[in-house]
Amino acid sequence: MLENNHTIHLTLNGESRAFTVEPQETLLHVLRERAHLTGAKKGCDLGECGACTVIMDGRAVNSCCVFAMEADGSTVETIEGIGTADQPHPLQQAFIDAGAIQCGYCTPGMIMAAKALLDRDPHPTREEIHAAMSGNLCRCTGYTKIEEAIVAASRVIDQYANGKGAQQ
Amino acid sequence: MEQHHFDIVNHATPRLESMDKALGRGKYTDDLVLPNMAYAALVRCPYSHAKVLSIDVSEAEKVPGYLGCALPEEAPQAYFNCSGNPPSPLLMADEKVLTTEPLTIGDRVAVVAAETEEAARAAAEAVKVEYENLAPILDVKAALADNAPAMQPHLSDTNVVQRREVSQGDVAVGEEKSDIILEDHFVTPPMQHTMIELTCCICDFSDGKHMTIYSCSQTVFQERRILAELFGLKEVDVHIIKPLVGAGFGARQQLHAQHAAALISRKVGRPVKLLYSREEDFYSVVRHASDVDLRIGADKNGKLQLFDTTFRLNAGPYTTHTPTVVAAAARKLQYNVPNYSFVGLSVFTNHVTGGAFRGYGNTQLTFGREILMDRLAQKLDMDPVEFRLMNHVQVGECFPCASIPVSSNGIEDCARRCQQIQKEIDEKEPLIDDDNIRQAWGISFSCHGSGPSSKEGLSGAVVMLNADASVHLLVGSADIGQGSETMESQIAAECLGIPLSSVQITAADTSLTPYNTGTFGSSQTFICGNAVKLACDDLKKKMIEQLKVIYDGCTVKEKDHRYCISGSEELELSFEDAARKILFDPKGSVPIGAGTYKAAACPNPFSVCFVKAEYHKKLNAIRLMDIIEVVDVGTPINRLTVAGQLEGGIAQGVGYALYERMEINPRSRRTLSTDFLHYRIPQMGDMPRTYVDMVNSHDPYGPHGAKSVGELATVPVAPAIVNAVRRASGIEINSLPLCDKFAILPTERGNVK
Repeated sequence: MLENNHTIHLTLNGESRAFTVEPQETLLHVLRERAHLTGAKKGCDLGECGACTVIMDGRAVNSCCVFAMEADGSTVETIEGIGTADQPHPLQQAFIDAGAIQCGYCTPGMIMAAKALLDRDPHPTREEIHAAMSGNLCRCTGYTKIEEAIVAASRVIDQYANGKGAQQ
Repeated sequence: MEQHHFDIVNHATPRLESMDKALGRGKYTDDLVLPNMAYAALVRCPYSHAKVLSIDVSEAEKVPGYLGCALPEEAPQAYFNCSGNPPSPLLMADEKVLTTEPLTIGDRVAVVAAETEEAARAAAEAVKVEYENLAPILDVKAALADNAPAMQPHLSDTNVVQRREVSQGDVAVGEEKSDIILEDHFVTPPMQHTMIELTCCICDFSDGKHMTIYSCSQTVFQERRILAELFGLKEVDVHIIKPLVGAGFGARQQLHAQHAAALISRKVGRPVKLLYSREEDFYSVVRHASDVDLRIGADKNGKLQLFDTTFRLNAGPYTTHTPTVVAAAARKLQYNVPNYSFVGLSVFTNHVTGGAFRGYGNTQLTFGREILMDRLAQKLDMDPVEFRLMNHVQVGECFPCASIPVSSNGIEDCARRCQQIQKEIDEKEPLIDDDNIRQAWGISFSCHGSGPSSKEGLSGAVVMLNADASVHLLVGSADIGQGSETMESQIAAECLGIPLSSVQITAADTSLTPYNTGTFGSSQTFICGNAVKLACDDLKKKMIEQLKVIYDGCTVKEKDHRYCISGSEELELSFEDAARKILFDPKGSVPIGAGTYKAAACPNPFSVCFVKAEYHKKLNAIRLMDIIEVVDVGTPINRLTVAGQLEGGIAQGVGYALYERMEINPRSRRTLSTDFLHYRIPQMGDMPRTYVDMVNSHDPYGPHGAKSVGELATVPVAPAIVNAVRRASGIEINSLPLCDKFAILPTERGNVK
């Protein structure tokens, strides 16, 4: 086992944060156990379910498969950083309105994976949505309402961006 | 049909807790930390059948942070049954907290505690257990062989732990009256629930006298009872709290490792958290594999005359739920069949233990039944919908061997709505039938109950009124993600004529909320919903009584949630005015309504599912195109939630039909399905186009006319898929998953903008 703890620096939800981590520690562990941000969930710890998805330097990553030391110097966005009860992110509101949330355990990962997609392509095709979301498993919803929510959010984001009505 | 007007129920309402979940603020068990909390991990048997020869903890003791280890001799020695059903003679006890004679992979041998989760895992791995590896029996056929050793000799000399026979009429008469009898042998695989939340509990039993548990649980009150019995405590000294739960589907209708966590918590004198790995979750429980012989006979007019089945479920090595799953399967025949014989066998093997899973026996029996019904319709040259409808039980009639008549039935409306959607699809995309591709529709009917049976199922509810006419609702019912807290709040708001935002609910906390049998058997809307309605009625009654005390000598009448006082005083009070008056008047009281509902009925919800599939002749491949499911669930309390249950049930049916199976490696005879790469569940892009709807219906026994939906949703999906594939391919199918016989092609709905 490797010894020696290291200090890493993250821009976490817009704030500069430093954490002392162990060499084999994952980003998920840092978020949940050190930063006490429990929105990212552990569903497999193997990079297969997507419940721990966060955005690192603009890309959706399974935080259970990123070593904390790999994340040193990066910008990390978690579900806690993208909206509030008064001002939820359009994806958060769309998930609520569409009924895309059942047990809710996959929800933070789903929303972060969808945000990474919409950040780089505000109006993806269904195929692009399926590809971007293929690493995020849900056992409750059958995905129908999650897909609807992502499409609905993309239209809202479009409206913000273009300052005009909903686009088809 | 009579029209019912509702202000709150029968609307599409987002969940009460969905904002917390969307913001990542919702707390699940693994998100909680108690002061001075340690971590526990289990030492589990890696073989499907073994004997523990020795256990050596010396290496574990060297792991930094190690706190202690509990061995089998330190655990309660009594047998128990982990099922979260209320006590029943069918729930034979044959399981121990820790064992030296493991009967299946993952059996608990020891439990360790350490300062961190990682140290606990490392210590568990460092515990050296020497095993004698024994030959496992993995399938029902081998378990039923004459020379097969009995798995639980204290319960049965054979591996049949329970045999259930249910019949009416006479099979011989049925054979005689049938002009055509079809039969086949149907096999379905073990399926895992794969809730995305890993199973977790936090247990504080550090003083050895009071036990506090936070856990993902469907059945907190049953778990309390079993744990109190195991550890010699009073039920008041066991406090179980259910935080948010990342789904259940039946897997959490049983104890998981709360007992082992209690044992090590007491030993190290600290609260512990015990979190499963995904692999541990995979081999903890499955939907029973089934092995079914089935015969159905009809006369030349298409009237069913015979239904004769031998229904065998692979229980794994412990009884848990199996006999009740078999019993439930026997009660789901929704067709009028004068001659019905059901023989159900609960069979022990060393396979992964079977437990509760959405459908609870109905899934397995409906599979073969609806396939044979489809073949019969073709042999009789009848339309598959009309053939089923002409044989279907109607309102006032009983299911075979049932004692309570069907109280509402919208199955024909479900079928007609499916046909309407089918027609719209066919007009846009006519069925293809060319040299390579042939498309076809397949259908299935299904039913379920509302609650475990017409005799089981019990729930209390308490509603406490505040001065501003908001209420606090207390129920024992566990919301595991299906949305029961929102539905129960809607039922209360509708009863009291107040906005949904005026209802605050507390649920599933054994020290704060009244008893509830548990979240299983699709019971929370019907059983707990009725208790909520009764509690609200009780509150209203008590309010009238108290107003009569306050306005002495006056008559008090309630109409449309307003209170008319007449006599020496003449006035009309709003609900809020009445609440304030009752709380603050010198002759006032604390307005509390209490309700208790004991199942006196079990209304059947109904479902019809249509599937369009295509067969590629050159590739021997199939593709799912469209799935339609329309249901009669009585009044849908929350239309958004019901639609979500249907869509989720369809997805689980797709996985079950196409590729899900708990795999056992034939050489090592251990599970191969240890993660999501070795056990595939549907992803977003795997889903065909889905259409769901609810027909107008109202059940006289349901709260505001509601029946159930949760389990119903998934039952018809696999047989409807098979029927579409058999009609498209011309190949008869009697087993799942379909990937054994066909290549599965990806869906084709991705290119739509």
